[in-house]
Amino acid sequence: MSAVSEPEGIAAPVPAAAEGNTPSRWPLAQVGLWAVILFLCLTPFILIFAISFGHKIEGASWEWAFSLANYQRVFVGANWPEEVTALYLQKLYYSLYYAVIASVLAVITAFPFTYLVTGRSRRAQSAWLVFILSSLSLSEVFIVMGWDVLLSNRSGLPMVFKATGLTDWLKQVGWFDTLRDWGLANPRNVKFKTSVSATVLTMSYLVWPYAVILLYPPLSRLDRSMVEAARTMGAGPWTVLRTVILPTVRLPLMGSVLLLFVFLLGVYVAVTVFAEPAKQTMAVSVYEAVRGNTLNAPFGAAQAMVLLVTAGIFLALGQWMSRRAAS
Amino acid sequence: MILRVLSSLFLALSAVMLSLPIVVVSAAALNSGRTMFFPPREPTLERFYEFFVSEQVWVEALTNSMIIAFGSAALAVLIAWPIAYSLWARGSRASKVLAGLGSMPFALPPIVFGVGLGFLWSFLGGLGAIWSGVASHAALFLALPIVTISIGLQSIDRSHLDAAATMGATRAVTFRTVILPQTIPYTVSGFFFALVLSFNEFIVMFFVSASSYSTVTLQIFNSLRNGYTPTMAVAAVTFIVVSVVVFSAVARWGDLPRLMGAEPTKS
Repeated sequence: MSAVSEPEGIAAPVPAAAEGNTPSRWPLAQVGLWAVILFLCLTPFILIFAISFGHKIEGASWEWAFSLANYQRVFVGANWPEEVTALYLQKLYYSLYYAVIASVLAVITAFPFTYLVTGRSRRAQSAWLVFILSSLSLSEVFIVMGWDVLLSNRSGLPMVFKATGLTDWLKQVGWFDTLRDWGLANPRNVKFKTSVSATVLTMSYLVWPYAVILLYPPLSRLDRSMVEAARTMGAGPWTVLRTVILPTVRLPLMGSVLLLFVFLLGVYVAVTVFAEPAKQTMAVSVYEAVRGNTLNAPFGAAQAMVLLVTAGIFLALGQWMSRRAAS
Repeated sequence: MILRVLSSLFLALSAVMLSLPIVVVSAAALNSGRTMFFPPREPTLERFYEFFVSEQVWVEALTNSMIIAFGSAALAVLIAWPIAYSLWARGSRASKVLAGLGSMPFALPPIVFGVGLGFLWSFLGGLGAIWSGVASHAALFLALPIVTISIGLQSIDRSHLDAAATMGATRAVTFRTVILPQTIPYTVSGFFFALVLSFNEFIVMFFVSASSYSTVTLQIFNSLRNGYTPTMAVAAVTFIVVSVVVFSAVARWGDLPRLMGAEPTKS
């Protein structure tokens, strides 16, 4: 999905001589197009911004206002300055925490995969891409459902662990206690839900196909003859990776991590199912405020704004990095 | 040699890992009872009948999903065409800004866009109507046809355009005889990308539908709380099959590696 940022270098290919018979309704169509785009793609964000300054009417809905109370509640708590609570900052922290680990994990594992796939024939690449795209388009809901069945205590891997005697073996060698320390076991058996590991694993799985798609263009354009040359000169695979491959794809790698990170900031289903209640993210809290139990749309909007600005900062950082790479 | 084996092994392992939850969900669809077991007990295809024919909730959800997916994908392509075209033909600053704005919803966390659309439609009285769902998904996935159509336009052979111009073809004729035929595969790919992603999208639809109708993904999420039923797994299987068929078609009739950003084949 990188072509959005690649319109540079497209020469105006339509002959200028044809300009004469441009229909006069063209500007009107242009205005219409702008109107549609501004309406559909920009107004939702403007509304969130405007509503985030409003306040809630007890029991019913909300009204327009201009107060920073919602933002104050996000950053220092509702009772500031008497006391400072960082409940919502903590939620933001968990948003960032899960997203960073999951996106880095996804890119690190997707990188060798993509490199190997791009080395195959065009036909094989197509087949792999069909597979990747199918799993990419798979709904968050299904992925969570699948991992939930796999990780849940009654039906999935914990049962397998117990049945195959792996649990007993873990207890014998003493690793079971380590797992308990990590929150991955209860006194009887291993337990993967709810845990940070399960959340991060599922989130990472969620964006893994995206990571492959993002790394595919730079890796498929990588000059393989350089690799061959280094190999014939006696460089080991590790040296080739470090001195030839990594320097050329360093920026795409970081760019992918950034994009996936921004995407993961908004993950909702995986976090509600796999994270402990105390370690839920801001996306969940936005949902709670706008549609869930608390019903405080302006407060939800303020949190959405915070998420949006966070995402914007990282996207801008990515843009800046890719521009620096181009020059 | 060892490296070759190791790399194949790694690819295989990744594939297994990637399909693990999919396999589990698919197998669970064959359960005969009301609860989800893996491995399935007394495998049967009855759940498929329930999902497609007999259970009203699922049939309705599937119909809604189809309407929204096809409608929004078509709308997205219609809006994306002039954007991609003016980006290619003029490349002006304004057209770049327009394309950037159109791609923005896809790049930002979808939950934020969903909340914003929820506000927008509630002001306009469209909250909970199917048409607003169609418009929302069209906006969310607009980026995909913009990208694929742009790639298609860039791949047009310059010499064809020059030839058309020399022979005195008007802009309209050039468009109809040169530009349109060469970009149709890319347009169709964009349509299908938007279609499949819309089919699977959850969070934006959740805010926009306001619980007055449900799509398949929404229906599944609603049933998550009450525990899994094998019928939900059938829905998952259906979706996977649709995705595989669509992307295989794109790979068969279009140049999938090129669409995904590989160098054009040297032929």
